[in-house]
Amino acid sequence: MKLDPRTKLLMVFSLSSLAVFIKELELLIPVMFIALLLVYFLGGELSVLKKHSKFLLIFIGIAVIQSIFSPSGEVLLNIGSLKLLTTGGLVKGVRVILRMFIIIVSATIMLDSNSREIIQGLIQWKVPYELAFMVSLAIRFLPLLGEEARDVYTAIQLRGIEVEELPLKKRFKLYSYLLMPVLSGVMVRAREISTSLECRAFRAYPQRSSYQQLQFQTADYLIVILSLIFTAVVLTISFIL
Amino acid sequence: MTQSRSGYKYLQLEDIVYSYPQTGFQLKGINLGFKRGEFTAISGPNGSGKTTLGKIMAGIIKADSGQVMIDGLDTREVSLGRIGKRVGYLFQEPGRQLFTGSVKEELAFTLSFREEEKEEIERLSKKALEDFSLSGLEEEAPFRLSAGEKQRLALAALIINQPDFLILDEPTKGLDPLRKEELTVILKNLQDSGVGMAVISHDNSFIEENADRIILLSRGELIETRSTH
Repeated sequence: MKLDPRTKLLMVFSLSSLAVFIKELELLIPVMFIALLLVYFLGGELSVLKKHSKFLLIFIGIAVIQSIFSPSGEVLLNIGSLKLLTTGGLVKGVRVILRMFIIIVSATIMLDSNSREIIQGLIQWKVPYELAFMVSLAIRFLPLLGEEARDVYTAIQLRGIEVEELPLKKRFKLYSYLLMPVLSGVMVRAREISTSLECRAFRAYPQRSSYQQLQFQTADYLIVILSLIFTAVVLTISFIL
Repeated sequence: MTQSRSGYKYLQLEDIVYSYPQTGFQLKGINLGFKRGEFTAISGPNGSGKTTLGKIMAGIIKADSGQVMIDGLDTREVSLGRIGKRVGYLFQEPGRQLFTGSVKEELAFTLSFREEEKEEIERLSKKALEDFSLSGLEEEAPFRLSAGEKQRLALAALIINQPDFLILDEPTKGLDPLRKEELTVILKNLQDSGVGMAVISHDNSFIEENADRIILLSRGELIETRSTH
């Protein structure tokens, strides 16, 4: 289903807001399933999640840390007096995981929108063109940073460094090397883009016209209304009931 | 050179198939063998799969099917770090493989990680600086170097690790005729010392002049292999 990028932005905003504001696991779980269903029906790329499955380990780590440092409820695992795993800590950890999962899943809804459409959507929402353009640049270039970091990591390994064999201290030192080329790459790219924009007379005229105009369809109106109702209902249940 | 004469294939590709689902491009059934001490050029038009083939050879990307063996090791079963101890890979954009704060540190990186003696690191770094005309740039940040200097530094940082085999993606890109001549001498010396190399290049005069064998790819297929001697 081809939706207006503004409709998608609103859906992502609604789901992410719910993930941040609601505390109850009983509500977070259905919100997560709804996010998954939406992504599935809108043809979102859930394969992205598989690609980033390593993050799951980080989430599990967060759950364990939450359990150790926020001990409450029944103790499930302890070493001497140290409460290693408690029901309260576990619930908090699972909550963090669910929140991150909902935010990531909902963000995949935007993946099939091109940057031009997103800018146009924001402009028609009366967002200044400069700001809209910056948002679209950020969306476009963020994955490139990850790609650059991966390239550097590959280059380090191809210098004959067996990362898995390194002691933890050396491994951390090695990761610090990823920062320099990525940051310098960002600076170089920002300079090139700004030069390129100046050369194309960016902001030379106060008024811009658009060749392409976005038009809300019936499905867009329906989904926007349903998203707003759904968000209001879930927030009401969470805060009042 | 003994190994090259014996005919032992240091790097062997068997029935390599790899496809990019987004573009539909496919490398089809590539079978190749590379010896130590041999200079093989991989050429072909843009988009023919040269860089993809180079990355498969180095184990950076894994083939959909087929096998890459480096000195008897299956690249699917060993880490990139282990491959990197034997094979050096020069990226098409060498700036991407320079990651330290200075030229000196870049050259010493692997040696210091391997905990080599300080004197040995300094000796090898000094030699690399001289060989690659980088003297005087020791303290310079790699990302501030010119394209040609980055190219030379990336290559120097690979060669200092004394690899058995080099895969170089467009090594003459951004080099002026003098630097290209210097590169030719360096590669010739390495070849004479038994290092094998696969050079991906569009530079016809460079490959005709230096390669022992030229492999031509077109649309993901190996269409010609010829010896230059």
